[in-house]
Amino acid sequence: MKILIATSSAPFIRGDAEVLAGNLVEALSEAGHEAELAVIPFKGYPPGRIPAQILACRLLDLTETCGTRIDRVVGLKFPAYLIPHPNKVIWLLHQHRAAYELWDHPAGDLMHYPDGPVVREAIRQADRELIPEAKAVYAQSQSVSGRLLRYCGIASEPLYHPPANALLFHKSSPGDYLFFPGPINSADRQRLAMQAIAQCRERVRIRFAGEPGSLTEQAEYFNAVRKRKLSDRIEWLGRVSEDQKRDLYANCLGVIFPPVDEDYGYVTLEAMLSSKPVITCSDSVSLLEFVLDRQTGLVAHPTPESLAQAMDMLWADRRWGAAMGEAGRARYRDLRISWANVAEKLLC
Amino acid sequence: MLKINWFSALPPARSGIARYAMQVLPVLAKSHEVVLWTDQDHVAPEVHKIAHVAHYEPGTPPWREINNGTISIYHLGNHPEIHASIWQISIQQPGIVVLHDLCLHDLFFTFSVRHRNDRAAYLNAMERWYGQEGRQSAEAFCAGGVSAESMPQDFPLTREATRNALGAITHCGGALAELNETPACPTAALDLPYAATEEPRYRVWLAARDGVPHPPYRLVVFGYLNRNRRMGAVLEALAGIGEREQFRLDICGQLWDESHIRAEIERLGLNSIVSLHGFLSDDQVEQKLSTAHLSINLRYPSMGEASLSQLQFWDYGLPTLVTRTGWYASLPEDATAFVRPESEVADIQAHLRAFLADPGAFRAMGERGRRSLKNHDPERYVDAMTRFAAEALGLSPRVSALALARKIGSDLTEWLPAASSSYLLERASKEIYTIFAGRRRG
Repeated sequence: MKILIATSSAPFIRGDAEVLAGNLVEALSEAGHEAELAVIPFKGYPPGRIPAQILACRLLDLTETCGTRIDRVVGLKFPAYLIPHPNKVIWLLHQHRAAYELWDHPAGDLMHYPDGPVVREAIRQADRELIPEAKAVYAQSQSVSGRLLRYCGIASEPLYHPPANALLFHKSSPGDYLFFPGPINSADRQRLAMQAIAQCRERVRIRFAGEPGSLTEQAEYFNAVRKRKLSDRIEWLGRVSEDQKRDLYANCLGVIFPPVDEDYGYVTLEAMLSSKPVITCSDSVSLLEFVLDRQTGLVAHPTPESLAQAMDMLWADRRWGAAMGEAGRARYRDLRISWANVAEKLLC
Repeated sequence: MLKINWFSALPPARSGIARYAMQVLPVLAKSHEVVLWTDQDHVAPEVHKIAHVAHYEPGTPPWREINNGTISIYHLGNHPEIHASIWQISIQQPGIVVLHDLCLHDLFFTFSVRHRNDRAAYLNAMERWYGQEGRQSAEAFCAGGVSAESMPQDFPLTREATRNALGAITHCGGALAELNETPACPTAALDLPYAATEEPRYRVWLAARDGVPHPPYRLVVFGYLNRNRRMGAVLEALAGIGEREQFRLDICGQLWDESHIRAEIERLGLNSIVSLHGFLSDDQVEQKLSTAHLSINLRYPSMGEASLSQLQFWDYGLPTLVTRTGWYASLPEDATAFVRPESEVADIQAHLRAFLADPGAFRAMGERGRRSLKNHDPERYVDAMTRFAAEALGLSPRVSALALARKIGSDLTEWLPAASSSYLLERASKEIYTIFAGRRRG
C-alpha cells in the first residue's frame, strides 16, 4: 500500500510528535508498505489565522500521486488530520489543545486573544464536523480519546505505541536513588518533587536529568536546593545521552514522574520497560492508564506531603518496589505495546 | 446560566442607555453571572450592588478576563465619548451588539475624524458599505460640502457597528431592513424594557397632578434635547396659538444650543410661558412628571432609536405628542398623538387645541399608554435577550467562515483573473460551508 502520514509541525521544531511520525513511517515500511510523511507547516498564532490553515488542509488533494492512487492517509495532528481522503484513518496525537482542555489553563494561548472564543468554536466545529469522515479514529492515549468524546462526542480507540528504542531498555539491581527524567519544565513539576523530598522521613535521594528551559530557571532550582539544604540528596545531571538515560532507569530504585495532564508520557513506558515502579500523581491523567496504584507504582495526591509519603514508602520497602517494577514490565507486555500492533490497527 | 460581559454606559453617566441598563441589569443578574465592564471613572454605588463592576482600558483590554465570559453584550449609540471604546472592543471580540441608535454615522465620523484625526478610517468605512458613492460623499462631507443632517439618513453606517457581531438586537422591528442596513448576523427586535411603577405610587402621582390648579396646563419636554427634538417647532407652535396662556412649558434636560433656544423664547415672547430647567435629579424628574399634563417627545429626523423617556412618560400616565417616524410611528395609535414631520407646527397646535377642548380624552390616552407598558416587562426582555444570545453563540463559527470568505475573495482578486478563479472559489466556498456551517454535504 501507498500510505501518507499526514501531520503538521512548527518548522524547525522537533518534539515527541515528530519522532513518533518518523517511527510510524519506519514501522509501516517494515510491514512492507510504501510510507511517507506529508508535513503541513503550522503556526497557531494569531488565532485568526487558524481557520485559514484548516481550509488550506481541506483544499489539498492526497488521493493520487503522479497518476498512482494513494491507498491510505493516516492523520496525526491538527489540522493535518482534517485533510480529506476516501480511505483516511486518524490516529489522534492531540487536538488543538488551547481550544479544549487548555482553554483556561496557563499553558493555553487562545484565551489571551480577543477573537479567541470565536476561533475556539470554529476549531471545535471543524473537529466535530470533519473527524467523523475518517474510516476509523484511534487516539494515542485514553486521555486523548476521553477528551475527544467529552468535547466532540466522537468515540475513538486508544492505540498505544512504544517509546523510541524500546528494545534497548533493560533492568539492573535497584540503586540508591529515585530517577526523575527530563526535560525540566513547570508542567513536569520537578519543583513539587523538590518540595516533597524536604518532607521525607527517609534519606531519599533524587537524580534529575534534563535541561531547564532557561538559565534563570536553572538558577532558581539550584537556589532552592541550597536554601532547603538538600545538596546531598538532590543531584542535577543536566542533559544525558540516551545510553546514560537507559542506565539511569536500569539502576534506580524507582522513577518519579508527576506531570500535569500529560497526554502520553514516554517516561512511564520507559520505566516499565526497565522494570521500575513509577511514582506519579492523581492528576497526571494519562499516566494512570499505566500506573496502577500499589501494583505497578504509587499514585500520590499532587501535594508535597502525599508525594513525600509515596517516596518514603518506596525507599523503605525495596522488595515491594522491585515487585511493582516487575509487574509494570508484565503490564507493558499485556498491553501489546508495539509498532507492529500500531501498523496492523491503522491498516485494517 | 450564561456568563455575560456587559458593556454599556452606567449611572451616573447622563445617557438613556445608563437608565436602560438599570432596567435590565437587576433582572439579568438574578439568573446569569454578569460582569459590568466600564471605562468610566466613576460608577454609581447602586450599580455595584447589582453585579461585579470591572474596569478596562480601551487600548489594552484584559482579554483573558473578558474571555472568561460566555458572551459579551455591547450597547452602542451615537455618543462617541461613551460608545467609541465599546465599539472598539466589539469589533475585536464578536458578541451581541444592541443598537440603541440605528443611524450610527455620527459615532464613526466623530470618533475617526474628530477624536482620532483618522480621516482614512472614516472614508474606508464609508466605502466598505456604500462603495465609491459613499467615499465621495464622505470626502465632500469632510470638506463641508454636505449637510450634517442628511449624512446619517443617507449613510447610516450601522453595518459598521455590526460587522463582526454574532447577533444584533434593536428595539424597533423592521427598521434595519428599512434603512437597508441589515447585517450579516442574526437580528432580533425586542420591545424596550421598562418596569412600570407599582399602582399605589402611580395613584399618588395622579393625585399630585389633579392637585395642580389648571389651567394653565403643564407641558413637559424631557431628555437630551438635540437638534432633532424639534424645539424650534414646539416654540413656534406654542407662540402661534391664541390659547397659549393656558399652557406652561417646562424644558428639562441638556439643550444642544441653549443660547439659541433662549433667543427663540425671547423672540417669540414666550418668557412667561416657557422655563428652562437643565439636567434634573431623579427627585426633580418625578416632581415635574407627576405634575405635568402633556408631554412632547418629538424626533425628526429619527436615528431609529427607541425612547426610554416615552415609556417613562407612560409610567406617569402622561399623554404624549410624538413624531410619526421611526420607532415612534409604531406606538399604539390610541396611546399617543402623532405629529407629521411635514406639518409639525400645525399638528402640534391642533393637538394643543384638542387638549384644551377635552383634557379627559388626553388623560385616557396617557392611561392607555401606561397599560401598554406590560409589553415592556424587563423579565420578558431579559428572557428574549439571553435566548437570542445563546442561539447566536451556536452560530459563532460563522464569524470565522465570513472572515475566511472575505480574505479568500480579496486574495484571489489580487493574483487570479476572474475567469480562472471560479473553480477555486467554488471549492473554497463549499469547504468553508462544510467546515464552519455545521452541515455535512449530502
